[in-house]
Amino acid sequence: MTQIVMSGNSAQSYAALLARVQVIAAYPITPQTTIVEKLAEFVANGRLAAQYLQVESEHSALQSVVSASALGARTYTATSSQGLLLMHEVLHWASGLRVPVVMGVVNRAVAPPWSIGADHADTIAQRDTGWIQFYAESNQEVLDTVLEAYRIAEDPAVRLPAMVTEDAFYLSHTVEPVDVPSAETVDAFLPAREVRAILVPGVPARLGSFTGPIEYVGFRRDVARAMERVLPTLAAVEEDYARRTGRDHGGPLPTYRTEDADAVLLTMGTATTTARAVIDALREEGHRVGLAKLRVFRPFPVEAVRALAASVDRIGVLDRSFTFGPTGAAAMEVRSALYDASPRPLVSDFVAGIGGRDITPEAITRMFALLEGPEPPELTWIDLAAPEASADG
Amino acid sequence: MVKLTIPATELVRPGHAACPGCGPALAMRLLLKGLGPRTVLSMPACCWTVIATPYPTTALGVALLDNPIESTGASISGIRAAVDALAIPDVTVVGFAGDGGTADIGLQALSGMLERRTNAIYVMYDNEAYMNTGIQRSGATPEGAWTTTTPVGGAGRGKPERKKDIMGIVLAHRPVYAATLNPSFPEDFVRKAAKAREIAGPRFLHVFAPCPPGWRYSSEETIEIGRLATDTGVFPLYEVADGHLRLTRRLSSLKPIGEYLGRQGRYAHLTPEERARLQAEVRSGWERILREDASGSPGGPFSSRSSHAATKGDTVEAA
Amino acid sequence: MLEIRFHGRGGQGAVVASELLAQAAFLDGKRPQSFPFFGVERRGAPVTAYCRIDDREVRLRTSITRPDIVVVLEPGLLRAGSAMEGLKPDGILLVNSREEPAALPAPAGVRRASVDATTIALTHGLGTPMMPIVNTAILGALAAASGAVSLGALEQAIDRFVPAHPAENRAAARDGAAAVRVAPPLTAGHSRGASSAVARAPPLELPDAPMAVASSATIATAAWRTLRPEIDQRRCTRCNFCWKFCPDVAIELNAEGFPVVHLEHCKGCGICAAECPPGAIAMVAEG
Repeated sequence: MTQIVMSGNSAQSYAALLARVQVIAAYPITPQTTIVEKLAEFVANGRLAAQYLQVESEHSALQSVVSASALGARTYTATSSQGLLLMHEVLHWASGLRVPVVMGVVNRAVAPPWSIGADHADTIAQRDTGWIQFYAESNQEVLDTVLEAYRIAEDPAVRLPAMVTEDAFYLSHTVEPVDVPSAETVDAFLPAREVRAILVPGVPARLGSFTGPIEYVGFRRDVARAMERVLPTLAAVEEDYARRTGRDHGGPLPTYRTEDADAVLLTMGTATTTARAVIDALREEGHRVGLAKLRVFRPFPVEAVRALAASVDRIGVLDRSFTFGPTGAAAMEVRSALYDASPRPLVSDFVAGIGGRDITPEAITRMFALLEGPEPPELTWIDLAAPEASADG
Repeated sequence: MVKLTIPATELVRPGHAACPGCGPALAMRLLLKGLGPRTVLSMPACCWTVIATPYPTTALGVALLDNPIESTGASISGIRAAVDALAIPDVTVVGFAGDGGTADIGLQALSGMLERRTNAIYVMYDNEAYMNTGIQRSGATPEGAWTTTTPVGGAGRGKPERKKDIMGIVLAHRPVYAATLNPSFPEDFVRKAAKAREIAGPRFLHVFAPCPPGWRYSSEETIEIGRLATDTGVFPLYEVADGHLRLTRRLSSLKPIGEYLGRQGRYAHLTPEERARLQAEVRSGWERILREDASGSPGGPFSSRSSHAATKGDTVEAA
Repeated sequence: MLEIRFHGRGGQGAVVASELLAQAAFLDGKRPQSFPFFGVERRGAPVTAYCRIDDREVRLRTSITRPDIVVVLEPGLLRAGSAMEGLKPDGILLVNSREEPAALPAPAGVRRASVDATTIALTHGLGTPMMPIVNTAILGALAAASGAVSLGALEQAIDRFVPAHPAENRAAARDGAAAVRVAPPLTAGHSRGASSAVARAPPLELPDAPMAVASSATIATAAWRTLRPEIDQRRCTRCNFCWKFCPDVAIELNAEGFPVVHLEHCKGCGICAAECPPGAIAMVAEG
């Protein structure tokens, strides 16, 4: 194992290298571009023996890896924001064809107005496409999760595509030390892809096809069933990964200091790290607060959320996007998971950090203040005003 | 035993769901005779999506991947990349798309595939409208043709614009091989498909594909209408290899376009003046191709700077 | 509520017939509903359309599985089997056929009606012999035989909603109404043809990827055909043009090189006959 100080984007590239991906499709978009640049370098200097496809759009990027995967190749591509939106149609194809494509996504705000800041609206808008969705908190988690994603996606019981996301700039362009497992370790953890239901040249078969309603509903149900198998598979895969590397990211909803907590904040991505520090500070002041990191959004970890809810009175949800429902998307999922819970904790939604706005310790402190207050609101937009000038101290 | 002029092997299976007299059905049958069983097809939404029959059957004796309507070019790039990465030997990668899925919504992915020099064959079967959705105009619909979205009556005179020149667009990308094919000339058709198969690099086949319901003629006339398309100069048969254009069906004179137009209900409304205009268009297009064919030298719009080598040893099928 | 199901083939006008019937019913003061089977339509392929007629708003948005009336635009479709599926025991079967209605196969209790809508349509210049447009003639017959709509309303609907040849179509409807013949129902024990029981779908067992591997050769497309090629082997020169040009892969060459037509797959397009240099192939009408 080597420790390298690298960006989240490099962690994506290194993971693809270690996974020995065979086909890569590349189309630039800020802030993803350095992922495919690094991969181009790996291919050019012979470190990675992959077909590197220069495509003319993200739609084609995803299509080409979906088709390559349908022939049995292990594939990788990466995108962000507008690019992911353009892929939307092909996202459905990937899950419907049951191809285990793994994709890196740098979470970035959606235009207009143009913004390259961190925001989860791009991937949240893809939650209904049949993809597994991981949200990473650190560059280490990016690298480890991409490797785990291949194992889960290619598992014969699953065979679904997976995206591993990282917050724009807070991870994509932030360098920090990352433990890079050895090729031997990864090869043992992630052997060559086990193929099923792929096209074989010379063998007549049609993958995709068209159907009447009777068959169609069956295939949709099969995708749903595969989704149900993701979390048990994740548990087994993480255990194996931990055995080999010593690192375990704690399943779909790892928690922090929730044992005796009355109020818990649920976070996604990089806000989690800041929230940990805030919780430590609040604990020192006597607040019984804790944290849960929503690491997997699809499939939504309903059971884990219910287990968490059994011991807390109030759950705050930090949504780093707003997709124009009654509340943010994560809060809606949490509320839905808890509808039948008894006792049912109160759920309060905080929309924060969208368009790349910093989620500061102060902002998170304010969330806890609201959450612990007399009447936590259903939905609060945090930081609508510009930050206070602080130049003169 | 009778000698066959095209291979006996059938890679299109009976029981398919094409309309009676379907040009695209015959085109696929001839195409696969030339391409062989180790073809991997990728196909967008088009008539053949339906013709291939619903799950759990398939009308093709080769591997087939469905893809969304605009991404055939990208799909075959991906298939080729997988075949190369996995070192699967002797595979012919083919995109098979309609005129709408190629010249309209699929143009970007086609251009990408040609530009990145994907080692694959892209086939556009041209029935000159969106037929699978029920005869709507496409960029490849010819001028004057009736479709449901270019109606005739009132101010409507069929499609007011010209047919998009897909071969011109493709040739601007300098593919290693491009050709026009017409199922009314099966030997030429199969020969070009087989020849394309033997060449490495981006290749493009423009296939004429008459449609009885869409063009409004009786199903038994498909072959005759195809013949007339070529012999009136509406759809000349040629191939371009290494930048050199070669007519594969030479004509001492063109038949009048009226013989072609008159057989199809989609042109029934045309006035003599409108027909004359179409005739002039066809003649100038034919003369342009004749100039290219006669020159045999670099410098024309279809030429690249490469050598004459490709045409050497070829024979001319029809005089 | 009256539920009527139409069976035709793509291009024959079954969907338009159902819509026209709905328009006519509306003119009669009823609340109709009409819709096609939501599939992909191919010229010649079997097509189904549904029409409901009621005095009140129709509050059912499903296909019709227990029709009161089945209308078959071409007798060949009766052979295909599923046309009579679910027809109510006291229902009506109306077929476009030259045959007397008493010759039609039907379950006990079903009233049988026939009309030669093809001849009526061609008499009025509607369609071609290969693809006659029989919908207005058979709607006239339906109005007369069932009373589902009035003939007056039907003619009015044709006038308003049929863009081409409204006068000829009106005349065809009147002729259809005049020419329809009705036979009394068969009694139990004497019934023939398909049972009216609704077929049960087999249990669902699928692989979990949409991968089709079975051959389409198991699908018969013979019912699409109205004309059938007949080869005069004495005139055949074994040029194999018919084989070369067949879009349906329905012609095979035997060991001597003579063409053999696989009628289960021939759709009757007529290309083989049109392209046969010695004229050894004739297209003959299906019985």
